[in-house]
Amino acid sequence: MIARELAFAVWVSLKTSGLAALIASAAAVPVALFLSGRDFRGKKIVLLVNQTWMAAPTVVIGLLFYSLLSRTGPLGGLGLLYTQTAMTVGQIFLILPLIVGFSYTALRQVDRRARLTALTLGASRRQAGWIVLREARFPLLVAVLAGFARAISEVGVAMMLGGNIRGATRNITTSIALETAKGEFRNGVVLGILLLVVTLGINILVQTGLRGRDGES
Amino acid sequence: MSGPVYRLEGAGYSYPQAPAQFSLDLETLEIPAGQILALVGPNGAGKTTLLMLLAFLQRPVRGRLEFLGRDPWATDDSAVLARRDAVLLTHHPYLFKGTIAANVAFGLKIRRLPEAGISARVGEALALVELDGWGRRSVAGLSAGQVQRAAIARALALRPRVLLLDEPTANLDAALGLRMEAVLGEAGRAWGTTVVFSTHNFSQASRLADAILYLSDGRRVEFSHENCFSGTAVTDGRTSWIEPRPGVRIVFPGEARGHVTCVIDPAEIRLVAAGGGAPLPSGPNVFRGRVSRMETTDPDTALVRTSGDLVFRATLPVRALEAAGISLSREVLLTFEPGSVRVVGEHPAEARKPA
Repeated sequence: MIARELAFAVWVSLKTSGLAALIASAAAVPVALFLSGRDFRGKKIVLLVNQTWMAAPTVVIGLLFYSLLSRTGPLGGLGLLYTQTAMTVGQIFLILPLIVGFSYTALRQVDRRARLTALTLGASRRQAGWIVLREARFPLLVAVLAGFARAISEVGVAMMLGGNIRGATRNITTSIALETAKGEFRNGVVLGILLLVVTLGINILVQTGLRGRDGES
Repeated sequence: MSGPVYRLEGAGYSYPQAPAQFSLDLETLEIPAGQILALVGPNGAGKTTLLMLLAFLQRPVRGRLEFLGRDPWATDDSAVLARRDAVLLTHHPYLFKGTIAANVAFGLKIRRLPEAGISARVGEALALVELDGWGRRSVAGLSAGQVQRAAIARALALRPRVLLLDEPTANLDAALGLRMEAVLGEAGRAWGTTVVFSTHNFSQASRLADAILYLSDGRRVEFSHENCFSGTAVTDGRTSWIEPRPGVRIVFPGEARGHVTCVIDPAEIRLVAAGGGAPLPSGPNVFRGRVSRMETTDPDTALVRTSGDLVFRATLPVRALEAAGISLSREVLLTFEPGSVRVVGEHPAEARKPA
């Protein structure tokens, strides 16, 4: 596998999974904030569905979106199948419940007095919501990074919706699958290590950046 | 400033899921601008609920609450603006993660004060609570007392029109509590701030407040909860009694039935030092105890707290105490006339059948 191909696969992995993590987080965190701050009828069912969805195999999500995006599917006209966009969309739906679940747990652990205190000091409800998010920023970051890690390490969605097209949708995990199928185990292992190194680098970068900004060690 | 800051008419609040069906109901209450008002009552009396209403964190479910002549709940924005005028310091306050200075600056930033003004106010507020130089410290690892002081600084930095304090000195030791009382009282008077604070401590209320509002079971009552006892009344037709503790009777004249609440005016209680040579009292309403606290409320009067059969508070002339040889930790006998017992609540429907 030549270096340019390898670099492209890394880029595809980072781009699709990074975008998926950002978009999924933008949707998941407000949902988690809503769920953590209110009690309503059916909340337990919502949480149960979310937990079940968390365990959905990647190939099932891949298959679902494949049937939607394939030419004969209801969204076939969009022409998204075998594109990076399709991979990103699939990964968003794959990691959404994970980020909701982790964020919900993180926000439930924020002291209930945080929101009340913000209100007593003159914050609007929206500002008080931001305070709650800020109080949970480290566990929320873990939730986002967990989503990203799940997206960058999965192969089912990328393979079914991306098609493993060289120079277009091939990413690190589909490259590993290909090299393994070819019997090139050494390449597969090297790619696997590369995947771990990339994920480790991003984790370190994000966490140190946030801690540095907060002045906490 | 003229006119009341708050006016409540028939205002009430009920907790929708309260296990004990607690509700607060106040027929009328006016709090004039600049007044220091103490809310006194036992746990569950409704002090915190009233503070939550006054801080616009809860909306009355009945009646009317006006703030500066307006309905603070007219719009969502008006409630937020009203909250910026009336700042509540909660019991067991919470500090946001980060530094003490960031916490004290929080409300000022919300109000969009210029940065230079914020740092000056933060420094001034921290100095008031004796936390000068602590601004850059993280809130992690602060003691309960330091958290309390930082939270007081955070409220004082805002110089609000109304300062609402839920047991503001509860986490402070006695000496620091007194200094913080002075700070709150002086700040209130210097800035013309209306201060409403809750306390269990009657003497604190007497020292600090211009007016005291007694609360019991969510209602305004005309008595202090000092020496307030409840129990199932038993009567012989001429006198009645309750036993707040098994075998400990409070006797009062008349026929009472059911669940009775009665109070004894602290000024009606007599103390005799046990073993001091003075004739010991006999008859009903004699209790044994030990002096657990003594403080002077004014140069001539002392408030004495005794623990023993029951906890009582008595106010006596300082000279009488000295003459009787009563001092801290001294064992005493305590007595009052049955006629001094005032029955303030009688619920015959809740009567228990005698065993």
